[in-house]
Amino acid sequence: MVTTVETAAGPLPARKGSLMKDSRGYRVFKVFNVVAMLGVVAVTLYPFLMIIARSFSSDTAIRSGQVNIWPVGFNLTTYELVMSDAMFWTNYKNTVIYTVVATAIALVLTTCYAYVISKHHLRGRTVLIGIAVFTMFFNGGLIPNYVLITSLGLKNSLWAIVLPNAISVFNLLVMKAFFENLPAELEEAAQIDGLGTYRILWKIVIPLSKAVIATMLLFYAVSFWNSWFAAFLYMDKSELFPVTVYLRNLIAGSSTAQSTGAAAADVAQVSANIQSVTMVLTVLPILCVYPFVQRYFVSGVMLGSVKG
Amino acid sequence: MSQRTRARGLAAVAALALALTACSGGSEGDEETSGLDNRTGAMEDYAAGDQFTATEPLSFSLLFSDHPNYPSQDDWLLWSEITARTDVTLDPTLVPMSDYEQKRSLLIGAGDAPDIIAKTYPGQEDAFVSSGAILPVSDYVDLMPNFQQKVADWGLEANIDQLRQADGKFYVLPGLHEAPWQDYSIALRTDVLDELGLDVPTSWDEFRTTLEAIKEANPDEYPFSDRFSETYPGGNLLNIAALGFGTAGGWGYNNATWDGDADEFVATAAMPEYKAMVEYFHGLVADGLMDPESFTQDDDSAIQKFVTGKSVAIGANAQSIVNEYEPGLASNAPEATVAKMPFPCGDAGCVLNPVSQTENGIMINADAADSPNFVAMMQFIDWLFYSDEGQEFTKWGVEGTTFEKAADGTRTLAADVDYVGLNPSGTKHLQKDFGFAGGNFAYGGATELLWSTFSEDEIAFQESVADYDMIDLAPPAPLDETESEQLALIDTTLRDAVSQATVQFILGQRDLSEWDAFVADYEAKGATQYVDIVNGARERYVADNG
Repeated sequence: MVTTVETAAGPLPARKGSLMKDSRGYRVFKVFNVVAMLGVVAVTLYPFLMIIARSFSSDTAIRSGQVNIWPVGFNLTTYELVMSDAMFWTNYKNTVIYTVVATAIALVLTTCYAYVISKHHLRGRTVLIGIAVFTMFFNGGLIPNYVLITSLGLKNSLWAIVLPNAISVFNLLVMKAFFENLPAELEEAAQIDGLGTYRILWKIVIPLSKAVIATMLLFYAVSFWNSWFAAFLYMDKSELFPVTVYLRNLIAGSSTAQSTGAAAADVAQVSANIQSVTMVLTVLPILCVYPFVQRYFVSGVMLGSVKG
Repeated sequence: MSQRTRARGLAAVAALALALTACSGGSEGDEETSGLDNRTGAMEDYAAGDQFTATEPLSFSLLFSDHPNYPSQDDWLLWSEITARTDVTLDPTLVPMSDYEQKRSLLIGAGDAPDIIAKTYPGQEDAFVSSGAILPVSDYVDLMPNFQQKVADWGLEANIDQLRQADGKFYVLPGLHEAPWQDYSIALRTDVLDELGLDVPTSWDEFRTTLEAIKEANPDEYPFSDRFSETYPGGNLLNIAALGFGTAGGWGYNNATWDGDADEFVATAAMPEYKAMVEYFHGLVADGLMDPESFTQDDDSAIQKFVTGKSVAIGANAQSIVNEYEPGLASNAPEATVAKMPFPCGDAGCVLNPVSQTENGIMINADAADSPNFVAMMQFIDWLFYSDEGQEFTKWGVEGTTFEKAADGTRTLAADVDYVGLNPSGTKHLQKDFGFAGGNFAYGGATELLWSTFSEDEIAFQESVADYDMIDLAPPAPLDETESEQLALIDTTLRDAVSQATVQFILGQRDLSEWDAFVADYEAKGATQYVDIVNGARERYVADNG
């Protein structure tokens, strides 16, 4: 958001200073705008800060409700505890591997597919688009999908997570719109200069598409990083789970046990502290990547949507 | 909520998918099981009390609910010792506990379920029965001498009958308790009672008097602020109170309640006992004795009020006292003491629900009956889940390694092993490092075994309820498919209406003079139809199965 406002405001100041002041209405609007934005920021940040504060607080302080956005009873032992759990790191490593491999495959496939269906002269193009769009509205359902993946022998392997979700139709259509927006003359010129289809794609189109590729990268990476359902369905060994499944079990598992009155042996609460620490550690990498990709992100989405 | 809805939806889908393929699977009906020829690995003269050991190495697959606090490890002594004792290797499919039910539905629906499906609560098998994917275990209990013996010795025939489906068979092997037990009650600050010279209350009337006395001493706070309302408003409170008042409520609410005197099912919320219960709690709220937020706040808020000394009474089970209240109070009020009050009696007397004698157990994949090892598997299950040795083994582990047993039978943990704080100096953990006392295998059993890991306070509480009477168990009234569809349509509507009205009447948002209007509305919404269907199913079952 910030970047677009800056560029839009860029050419204005020179004229503005010499000719006129902001109208009263516009100033009121600006004040209101800032206040509203600050409100949104506060609402968005508050849960984050609270989780971070809880992760550094002592368990009793959390239970007695003293922790707000500042840690009470500062402690690091929980971080040590969670980080010394070998399974947490195994699952964390899985998440990284799944995300990297899945994103790479998804990017290649989506780019190729989108480029092909962006060419209006291609025969059968509508059929190709139809095939993709069809899956937005209909799918086989959970059990048939499970049976399919299992009979393909993909269960308990990386491919069960990577392949079924390799092309997101929404992302595909955004990319298609972006490619359609590129001036056809560029490619025609390249063709006259003797480049073939693949080299045009590689040398001309992709370098011009960095914004949309970065956006897709972020879309895919975040969705694969956060996904847990596919792994939950197709993985039978805890050493194959991504960290999201680990986290989900930690949080959901601890609250269901007490409310259903399960067998005494099974009622055990995971401390609020451990939950917060795990959440912080899981979210951290994505949070770190976000600011760097964000500037492509806004322009990438806008570009795609112009000719949607 | 959404998670549960999804799980339920999934179960429905699974049931549907299975119904379509039902023709290909299914049981063969009653069989003469002693003549089964798939006895590979089975023992010839396996009897109750025998150690089961397969005559050749066998392997069975198992659906295992993986607990976040003690996730399964391949090198657990539990796994290797099972193999050492029985020559059976278990091959677990690990499912995170958070979504266990969903994956179970999926695997059964896809026909990909393991042989043994652990952690199944009675009632959860209903969705799978019509498909034929689950083994009707009642046909094979003669392979399970320990199971039969426990049912007979502990008088659990009526409990087992409750599990029977329309065909007169049951499909889940439940965990069995020698005696009913009660975990949930209300925790009180006993130091506050002592200070005010009050006795610990034993009935709902005395509970009210106690709260009045506390309120008098501290008029600014609500003495009772309850929890366990996250999934159902007043889920625990109404559930335990309903026993004393002679009805059903909270987590235990069902639209039809068995009335032993009338020999029929009656509509629960229309019972005068239900109204009496609502009036009682309305009185507590109206007089400022009970926090009106008790029915809406989350558990953490209620715990905070209790551990900061604002409230003096709160719903509790054994774990919540040890894990939540005592640690919380330790920093805020070091001299505080907490104990569960004896399970409160009411107009219906001092009663418990014998339903607590069965708890979660296992289902068996119907395909297993065609396996050459089937008989051995049933013997193995019988030994592991139902023999005294098996139950001691899955709970306490291996004598000499994880625990020691004195001549009088008292068990103590080994010097370096800890479990539920019984041996705080232990460096290893019975659940995390050895795999014992986990929820998949260790539950139920003899009272002596159940109590063996209880604290003294908890044993005192259990002893205080040992001579309580039992309410009548509802007789089996299995529904056919049309009926269960009909009931499913009105059940949720009725539950929601009752839950909402109950809280409104208790909080005074609706005047109690409108109660009759509510009951009339409840009956018109389908309660009468509901009860008629259940009573019809009951009569049909009696006619068919005696």
